[in-house]
Amino acid sequence: MKRSPLANAILWFVLVMGTAAFVFPLWWMAVVSLETPDRAEAAVTGSAGIALFPPSPQPGNYLDAIRETGSTPWWGFADALANSIVVTVLVVIGTVLSSSLVGYAFARLRFRGSSPLFLVMLGTMMLPGQVTMIPLFLLFRQFGWIDSILPLVVPAFFGNAFFIFMYRQFIAQIPESLVEAARVDGLGHLAIWWKIMLPLCRPVTAICAVFTFIGTWNDFLAPLIYLHSDESATLAVALNGFKNQYGGLEDVHLLMALSVLTMIPCIILFIAAQKTFVEGLARGAVKG
Amino acid sequence: MATVKLTKVDKVYEGANGAQVRAVEAVDLSIAHGEFCVLVGPSGCGKSTTLRMIAGLEEISAGVLEIDGACVNDLPAKDRDIAFVFQNYALYPHLTVGENIAFGLETRRTHRSGLFAALTGAGGMRATESAEIAARVAEVSKTLGLDMLLHRYPRELSGGQRQRVAVGRAIARDPKVFLFDEPLSNLDARLRIETRTELRMLHRRLGATIVYVTHDQEEAMTLADRLVVMHKGKVQQNASAQECFDKPANRFVAGFIGTPPMNIVDGHVEGGEFLANGVRMPVGRLLAPRACALGVRPDRMRLVRPNSDHSIAATVAAVERLGDRTDIALDTAWGRLLARVNADDAAHVREADAVGVAFDSAHVHLFAPGECGARI
Repeated sequence: MKRSPLANAILWFVLVMGTAAFVFPLWWMAVVSLETPDRAEAAVTGSAGIALFPPSPQPGNYLDAIRETGSTPWWGFADALANSIVVTVLVVIGTVLSSSLVGYAFARLRFRGSSPLFLVMLGTMMLPGQVTMIPLFLLFRQFGWIDSILPLVVPAFFGNAFFIFMYRQFIAQIPESLVEAARVDGLGHLAIWWKIMLPLCRPVTAICAVFTFIGTWNDFLAPLIYLHSDESATLAVALNGFKNQYGGLEDVHLLMALSVLTMIPCIILFIAAQKTFVEGLARGAVKG
Repeated sequence: MATVKLTKVDKVYEGANGAQVRAVEAVDLSIAHGEFCVLVGPSGCGKSTTLRMIAGLEEISAGVLEIDGACVNDLPAKDRDIAFVFQNYALYPHLTVGENIAFGLETRRTHRSGLFAALTGAGGMRATESAEIAARVAEVSKTLGLDMLLHRYPRELSGGQRQRVAVGRAIARDPKVFLFDEPLSNLDARLRIETRTELRMLHRRLGATIVYVTHDQEEAMTLADRLVVMHKGKVQQNASAQECFDKPANRFVAGFIGTPPMNIVDGHVEGGEFLANGVRMPVGRLLAPRACALGVRPDRMRLVRPNSDHSIAATVAAVERLGDRTDIALDTAWGRLLARVNADDAAHVREADAVGVAFDSAHVHLFAPGECGARI
């Protein structure tokens, strides 16, 4: 279909405005991260209007931000970065392994009560996280897990309802004969899951891994609840250290600089994995 | 190589609302070493279910299944030492042709060395074993002309090539019994005939015991040492292809085996004649009066002058010229009959012509009434 130039112009205008609306907050964060402390504070309180470019960019803010993170210069940042990486990687591995395994079971094993169980599992998605927050905290305290990464990591190894659902749907449309061929070839269910299903589920795994990575990397609430000491804090919690308890804004330029740095891995990952999951969405069915 | 023996094998499915569906009923079958046994029948006749029970992909509801004399009813598929070629090939899409062929060999080797190895495929295999597997894959792929394709993925292959890989995967393991579930039905007509010949040759070379399922009776006839015709979960006839054609055990087999299908007319016999709708034809033997069905193969029908002795008056309904022979559909007092005659004999036949149709009583088959009425 060929569009008239006017329709094209309108379309472009709408798209550009939409994009600008979504990109602006990120751009503004980057702008503030390069401002002098005074101008940054003024920008945040709204007393200086909105600048689209910093008049005198201060790239040094970034080094300052890294040095000032946590309680020990330089090492505070390294600690937080390491914690974030460890927690995120473990959570991603746990979520992918457990969700795909459970998804495989729901898709391929016929057992008594599998449908009601599946519904119950889906039902857990309706439960807001806030409802279970306090009981979970009490439970983990009972275990003696407070101020360790266990409360953040262990639940990931018990599956995520939404990703289990995604894996189940995807695995259900893989031809049954592949599973039967594997059975004849001498594989049990665990081996079929590991050697046949996981490789075939790559598009779902990409979506699951990227969303889990971004969710965990950026998670602020759970680490704030469970990680109390400075050394165990993740980057998201460390960021909060730039805001003093009275809500002071004198270090807001550093807060923004570290926020920009924190975002980088997510953006890189998203771009890198985009191809895999777009391919997965486009391909639709697996053909034998 | 091995024998396969089924004794009174049943398969009962739990249908919707608790009703029981008997998909396979009291199947007795004994397949010898190196025999090419073809199960044939219309869809839903229980042939695939029977094959899948032999494979261990379906549980056996009742009866005994023996491979090489040992009961394997409760043995899982992997321990029965069988290979299964699926209709849709079931090649692992994420593995190359070579890896697909080697897959079964590798899992079998690593099996012994525990769960971890079986899970990860890592370790557990000695260098000599990997070398053996590589040699075996090379040998098999050469036999099937796949050696140039070893590094391709299934999605990059044509239907015929995928089919070969599926066969290669089966041969590589050197199993006791090969099971084929309609392996040619996804190929186009020409390739199907070529592959059919190759399968036959492969069978001779390997000397393997093969159980093969198809709904295509022509494919069944050309491949089978032994033909097992099934209908409604029961074996209708178990004999050589030639015998099924020459002496069909019942009316169903008569109608199913042979292209075009046999003309079958309901009526009754009296003395030495068959009578239907007021038209009599001699059947060549004396029988007590009874209701029965008469069958004559189309190529045994002759066109004669109208009103000749022992002929049926007919009007030509359609003429299909196939080059060397001509199929003529005839409207008669016995209903629509098909005659297949020499092209030369039918050169002047036109639609709507009045003719006579006759057949030799030696070529008459008589069956008891009913869908599966037995041969008389």
